[in-house]
Amino acid sequence: MTALPRSKILERILAIIVGAVFIYAGFLKARDPVHFASDISNYQMVPWSVGVRFAFYLPWLELVCGFALVLHRFFSGALAITIALLLAFLGATAWARIHGIDVSCGCFGSAGTNLTLAWHLAILAGLLLASIYLWCTRERVRFA
Amino acid sequence: MGRVLVRQVLFLLGLAFLPAIGQALYYRGTASWQQRPVDSAAVSVEEAKNWGGAVLWVDARAEEPFAKAHVPGALRLDEDGWDTLLPSVLAAWSPERKVVVYCSRETCNASHAVAERLRHEVQLKNIYVLQGGWEEWENKK
Repeated sequence: MTALPRSKILERILAIIVGAVFIYAGFLKARDPVHFASDISNYQMVPWSVGVRFAFYLPWLELVCGFALVLHRFFSGALAITIALLLAFLGATAWARIHGIDVSCGCFGSAGTNLTLAWHLAILAGLLLASIYLWCTRERVRFA
Repeated sequence: MGRVLVRQVLFLLGLAFLPAIGQALYYRGTASWQQRPVDSAAVSVEEAKNWGGAVLWVDARAEEPFAKAHVPGALRLDEDGWDTLLPSVLAAWSPERKVVVYCSRETCNASHAVAERLRHEVQLKNIYVLQGGWEEWENKK
């Protein structure tokens, strides 16, 4: 068995951290999709009928991507979706702020109510930076 | 490489659909699919004014707008200063009082977030959100 080089160990640890956060966030939101639908609706970007459908789908997408990152399977695909989701979350928060809409992020379901918006943004930005680093250093992709 | 990446993305997007559809079917009778459910605990300015002294007003806006003006007797409580501000709200609260939370306007979310925490974390009863928020209060003065 060959040992992983140090840079690869760092990448694995980062992938596990990002994946674990996505699993945690996805699990919290999947437990209460109607509450998450309200969080989406508060952003006033999409009508309720669209937001509620997102609310039932996005948590599972986060869970699937989180597990893929932790288990290092379908890695590039999971990473691409993760980066897209993080950009969407950051963009939505910025959009709400620009339009003067007073929202709580909703990123971590009911557990996120103890976090200020600044903390939410810091966590999202940290995850995005880690994901971009993983994207730049990832190996060539095979299907699985 | 590009094609493999696209296949991976499509596979993962599709995989997430399966439990999502299952959960949506489970919730099909209870979730509101076309429009947001009406908040039964919302109260209009007129109605809240009619309650008179039985109301404990809670201002969920930031410190600066609160300092400029607020509903007479209102106490400030927002999520950022939750731990510091909550004790003064609890000291003023009594079981027979109705708590009406407001933020800046109809579209703000702070009043809903504070009302929800008062209901679920602090376990207070009779928590209401003021329809239209401070903006509506100013209009109805």
